[in-house]
Amino acid sequence: MGLVTPSSTGNDTDQKPLTPRVDSLDGTHIGLYDNGKPAAEPLLTAVQEMLAERYPDATFEWYHVEHLNQIKNDEEQAAVTEWAEDVDVAIGAIGDCGSCTKFLTWGIEFIEDAGTPGVGLIDEGFELDYQSNAVERGRPLRYKKTPVRCETTDLERVRDEVTDDVLDGIIDELTRPLNDKERADPVAQ
Amino acid sequence: MVRDDADDESIAAVSRTLYRQGMTDGLPVIPPTEERVEEMLRGTDTPDDAVIGRLGNDDNPITVAGLASNAVMAGCLPTHMPVLEAGVRALADPDSNSIQFSVSTGGWAYQWIVNGPVRGDVGIAGGTGAYGPNYRANRAIARALGIAYRNTAKIHPGEKDMGVMGNPFKFSLLLGEHEEASPWEPYHVTAGYDEGDSTISLSGPNSFVQWEPAAAEAEAVLRGMLANTPPAMVSGEQQGGDFDQTITYVLCPASIDLLADAGLSKRDVKRYVADNSAIPVDEFQKGVLWEGALEGYHGRVENAQVPQIRGPEYVRVVAGGGRTGRCDAVIGPSIGGPVTEPIDYPDGWSALVAEYGPTE
Repeated sequence: MGLVTPSSTGNDTDQKPLTPRVDSLDGTHIGLYDNGKPAAEPLLTAVQEMLAERYPDATFEWYHVEHLNQIKNDEEQAAVTEWAEDVDVAIGAIGDCGSCTKFLTWGIEFIEDAGTPGVGLIDEGFELDYQSNAVERGRPLRYKKTPVRCETTDLERVRDEVTDDVLDGIIDELTRPLNDKERADPVAQ
Repeated sequence: MVRDDADDESIAAVSRTLYRQGMTDGLPVIPPTEERVEEMLRGTDTPDDAVIGRLGNDDNPITVAGLASNAVMAGCLPTHMPVLEAGVRALADPDSNSIQFSVSTGGWAYQWIVNGPVRGDVGIAGGTGAYGPNYRANRAIARALGIAYRNTAKIHPGEKDMGVMGNPFKFSLLLGEHEEASPWEPYHVTAGYDEGDSTISLSGPNSFVQWEPAAAEAEAVLRGMLANTPPAMVSGEQQGGDFDQTITYVLCPASIDLLADAGLSKRDVKRYVADNSAIPVDEFQKGVLWEGALEGYHGRVENAQVPQIRGPEYVRVVAGGGRTGRCDAVIGPSIGGPVTEPIDYPDGWSALVAEYGPTE
């Protein structure tokens, strides 16, 4: 049909490879990236507690975005990348709404830009949203679904929800070797 | 059975194909054939391949031709193109925050207010039933801008458009301010433009409430504004300080007459609702609010009051609706804008208006 497409041609975003994972979290300096959502800090706190128990030699360093919108600012983006350069791996939270899931992928992208393997923690209802935003930004960024629901701030409840299985999944995303798609050389989207 | 519409240019077939591709709002569309898009482009002097703006997560470009295609689909006329181009510039303005409110779980709408002579040129209504399913220009322009954003930013329900409920106003909330019914300065003049300019303004609210004031008195109009602004419509500086959160009152001509006859200016009305917006702290809904909004209130005095509207600068007042009774509305809270863009006309505008006319 001779139709003029109503869709954008897009930016032909190059798909960049992910940063190679680490062999183990034992003895690593682990970054905890709080994207400014209320549930991010309690979720990452619970994760930190469990990681510290499992890896007594690991150390931790936080980055807090004051409000999720601020990741749109150039200075904030540069600060995230600079912070990520000093950690061995980074765990970001949380994707539990439309805009914060988008902006979580931005944060994980800047972490990967620093050459640091990253993983985003999301409410399971936002899996497709995370995947789509990540690929559009240029990488098949890794993530781990968690049972922590939107805006949950009760740390005790979060501690109950972050089980060993959830933690195993987070660790797997940071240590499992890259597959062919994740290693691929840049190609047009 | 899945139909194969590859060679069928009928409205039914093209609507089905584009719907399957996620490029419509579910209603039938006019097929954007090359001939129709070419005719639509008579409404602009901007080159077809010029990028008007970049939208969405990946800053995807929207060209004039791409906008014209969406305009054809939505049922627009070539005379709508100047309004649409200005609308896209508003969407692309970072201050509109469209990148957030287009996808947020809150389910926000694109709220458009058009001012100036363009309203008469193309038939943008502001009087009786202006927000209803009544006027081609209001409906088609809002629809075109909505699907243009969707198709450029590539947002779909559950994939980058995460509105939990969705919003029935998302692609239909467009009003030409009823400037002629108000003694106050028009909306775009308050925003810094000349009265003879034509403009389109964008903000991103999620709710619409209307009511009839309890009496034909200025005080009843003001009390109605306060009583019918729900706790969810909080306005002030957003958390993080990047954006203001605003609410818009749309006042009918009869209400404006009562307020103006009482000697009140638009600024006076804004100040009144802000100064009298205190609500019990327990009823305060945080929304996406400024940092420490309740600092100093919690636990200090039982049933302490806090301002629902932080100040007159977070309130907008617009003249809308007809002289067919008394009814006012509030729209908000908006988490983006307002931003206002001027509307520029192509050469031969008068002839194009004469050809298509506001009632075409």
